[in-house]
Amino acid sequence: MSERNYTTVNPCIMCQPMGSVMAFKGIENSMMLLHGSQGCSTYMRLHLAHHFREPVDIGSSSLSEKGAVYGGSENLKKGLKNLILRYNPKVIGVSTTCLAETIGDDIKRIISEFQEEENIGDERIIIPVPTPSYEESHNSGYIKAVESIVKEFTMSDEGHEIFNNKLNIVFSENISPEDTREMKRILANTVGSNSYIMLPDISETFDAPMTGEMQKIPVGGTKHSDIADMKNSAATIGMGITNDNRAVDYLEHTFDIPAQNLPLPIGLEYTDRVLAALSNVAGIDIPEEYQKERGRLIDAMVDSHKYVYGTKVAIYGDPNNVLGMLSLALENGMHPILVVASSKSPRFAEYAMERVKQVKPDCDVAILEDVDFDTFNDAVRKADPEMLIGNSNGKYIAKEMGIPLVRFGFPIHDRVGAQRILSLGYHGAMNVLDKITNTILEVEDAHLEAKWAEAESYVPLGEDTFHFAEA
Amino acid sequence: MPDITGVINTLDERQPYIALKQKKNTELACDNTSIAGSMSQRACVYSGARVALNPVTDAVHLVHGPIGCASYTWDIRGSLSSDKETFRTSFSTDMKELDVVFGGEKKLSKSIDEIVELYKPPVIFVYSTCIVGIIGDDLEAVCKDATERVGIPVLPVQSEGFKGTKSDGYKAACDALMNLVGTKEPEITSEYRINILGDYNVAGDVWLVKPLFEKMGIQVITSMTGDATADSISKAHGAQLNLVQCSGSMTYLAKWMKKNFDIPFKKVSYFGIEDLAIALRETASFFDDEKMKQIAEEIIESETRRIMPDIKKIRSRLEGKKAAIYMGGAAKALTLIKGFRELGMEVVIIGTQTGKRDDYQQISYRVKEGTVIVDDANALELVDLLERQKPDLMVAGVKERFLAFKQGVAFCDFNHDRVIEFEGYDGFLNFARELDVTINSPVWNFVGSKLEVENDDAFRLRGATNAKVPDDLNLKKVVKERNSMHDVNVSPMEESVA
Repeated sequence: MSERNYTTVNPCIMCQPMGSVMAFKGIENSMMLLHGSQGCSTYMRLHLAHHFREPVDIGSSSLSEKGAVYGGSENLKKGLKNLILRYNPKVIGVSTTCLAETIGDDIKRIISEFQEEENIGDERIIIPVPTPSYEESHNSGYIKAVESIVKEFTMSDEGHEIFNNKLNIVFSENISPEDTREMKRILANTVGSNSYIMLPDISETFDAPMTGEMQKIPVGGTKHSDIADMKNSAATIGMGITNDNRAVDYLEHTFDIPAQNLPLPIGLEYTDRVLAALSNVAGIDIPEEYQKERGRLIDAMVDSHKYVYGTKVAIYGDPNNVLGMLSLALENGMHPILVVASSKSPRFAEYAMERVKQVKPDCDVAILEDVDFDTFNDAVRKADPEMLIGNSNGKYIAKEMGIPLVRFGFPIHDRVGAQRILSLGYHGAMNVLDKITNTILEVEDAHLEAKWAEAESYVPLGEDTFHFAEA
Repeated sequence: MPDITGVINTLDERQPYIALKQKKNTELACDNTSIAGSMSQRACVYSGARVALNPVTDAVHLVHGPIGCASYTWDIRGSLSSDKETFRTSFSTDMKELDVVFGGEKKLSKSIDEIVELYKPPVIFVYSTCIVGIIGDDLEAVCKDATERVGIPVLPVQSEGFKGTKSDGYKAACDALMNLVGTKEPEITSEYRINILGDYNVAGDVWLVKPLFEKMGIQVITSMTGDATADSISKAHGAQLNLVQCSGSMTYLAKWMKKNFDIPFKKVSYFGIEDLAIALRETASFFDDEKMKQIAEEIIESETRRIMPDIKKIRSRLEGKKAAIYMGGAAKALTLIKGFRELGMEVVIIGTQTGKRDDYQQISYRVKEGTVIVDDANALELVDLLERQKPDLMVAGVKERFLAFKQGVAFCDFNHDRVIEFEGYDGFLNFARELDVTINSPVWNFVGSKLEVENDDAFRLRGATNAKVPDDLNLKKVVKERNSMHDVNVSPMEESVA
């Protein structure tokens, strides 16, 4: 469609509370309560269940008309009380919605009142995260929630300052449970399994093994003692570079912990950077296992290069994920023609451009941010790519254009296995590259089949195509 | 209000909403707003309005509010269209902080103008969300002005999320539809005319039902809202009878049409062999046309005969299995009880999100003693109920799917996510097949199993103890016996091949 100024058509983003939910789901023994009307929590539960294919429980203060007029304090307190009665979580994240923010509820005050009235001691931690839905996006909600979690735990653990010589790893964007597991494997093999603290950790909570019994709160997530201990660490690596990682900044400024922000390790170059940093932090050489994996990835890249070279691709999704995928596409000789981040971030365009200049300076690439799918679709029609890489919401334009969509990111609700998409590390790069290459080959197969099916495309040798045959 | 029933442990306040079917007089509390922190499976007023209206295929559905409400409802219903696909596009005014502070009316007006210019829809439904109700945007006035300005109906849907329950959203949707009904003259092609109300054409349901009526010589003016267009809704007053299926959402509109156009309505269901026959017979007897009655009987006879061999085959594999039902509306729950009976299955849990007192009474008449009846069940209650009642299958929506799976209970989606038609004769066959697949799949044999080692001294590395066996040795898989009814040794697929 042509120029629009007032209407958002097919949104690329979700609202802030969603990001907060995703962060809290990576904390051990925690529950989330949304202060707002019943629908917000239900819609997010639905959205997350579609993607992760897991039961997802998110409490609601079920604000009604009365609550909206006289203030939602009573509802929020009751919601907390019932959530504790039923789920008995150690940690409760409370996020606001547009309704709670607009009626002006001060959740921090209401929570401290509740703690006092109900005699809630240190054994239960309630963390307020204001996330008005009319500001920013799910990406900012995630960052804000992670920051609030770190602040709350490091503050409530005051007096326990014993240097632990550990490395903090703090994500600034949601990744898949499989990628979380891969990240843990990389960390275990470099800094050692007891020498890092990773936050959040959705490897188990959003991809729980089937036991035949339903857990009220899924097992797994970053341990509370570990989060509290983050202030005693030797260094922090923020995963993701497009946005300010507020938790990382907080740890650096408050506890003097040296910090570094690195891109998500997607593709060869970015994985190299992360592994180099980890080896440096640990004071070890790159482990032999990873040199081999790296070699295997390069082997795979060589195997695939003829098929993927020059393939025009459009990549879209959350900024750090897209940046990583852009890097992977570039280093494999693909031609990224359109790169779109769901939400606005301070450094996405800059880093995307930098990476393009490093690898393929003559690449004419359109970089967009904070657009809706209608705008994206127009851009796709204009750029005319041969492939899309991104979440399920690109399926409409992929179908219209008759091009394949390699699914990656969030949300993926129309295919199974979203929780097990592996894209991080050398392993992830191999997985993604194989998928891209095989998708191209399948399209090629179909083209060839169609080509040879037409009788006139076969001209016997010896006639006017003789010189082709010779060549 | 009934006392604490103690069927399962839950919040005291929730106890009256859960009852066991008794010999006489089963009562339970219902029709209230959800309790904070109870983890209700319900959504909000907006969601009710959105699901009821969304299938209008050529309408623009514009959500006036922050982006989330539009994000989470973009193309979520499996309703199909025989023509335009406009309804699958998500439109939002994407209100930002400034709009919240200074009001969103201007942005809404401009957004409407923009949509009319770019998309040229025949109608725009404008949904209000929570904060619109708080900041006091006058949706009605903006829509009224816009209607005059742009020359198409721009209809407000008063669906502020917090102002009631999902049922109130249904009403808001009906209120919006009332603005369309009766605005155009219908083209009359038969002396007998009906509307199909409360069918959302999920997976193409309507397309398996409408032809049955057409065969009977009846003109179906519109189906609301599945596969409806603005045009067909405008002509709905040309019908002589409204058939209401999802009574929770559309009875309100049917009553209004009775009052304003003197069109009577009947509550029907197109699910299951018996209910389908009732729907066709009652429609024919309403028009009191002998030929139509005869055709109806012929359809019932020949269609039933056509699907019965397959139904019988599947029934033999489902007989005696127990089912749990948790539905949005009571009409679907009620008709499912019959459907299960036709497949030889028994209902052991039945609940709804929006049932009323009458609905639960009807339900209690139709289920066996000891069946649990529940209103507005929440996640943990459903978990405990599945544990207590041990059904082999649950029929519900997406949020319940994974909860059932985790407990090793088979599952059938009878909600928005469905991709197979369940209505009409072929639909019922589809339903039976789906139950067969999910109940008799061999995967359930593995649920709750653990890999255990059988010690074999003859095949062992020197010095190896019982406690630790290396991963790469040949291990034997021991599947734990399950005590439920999932012990199916032969998969249905193998069986049918043989």
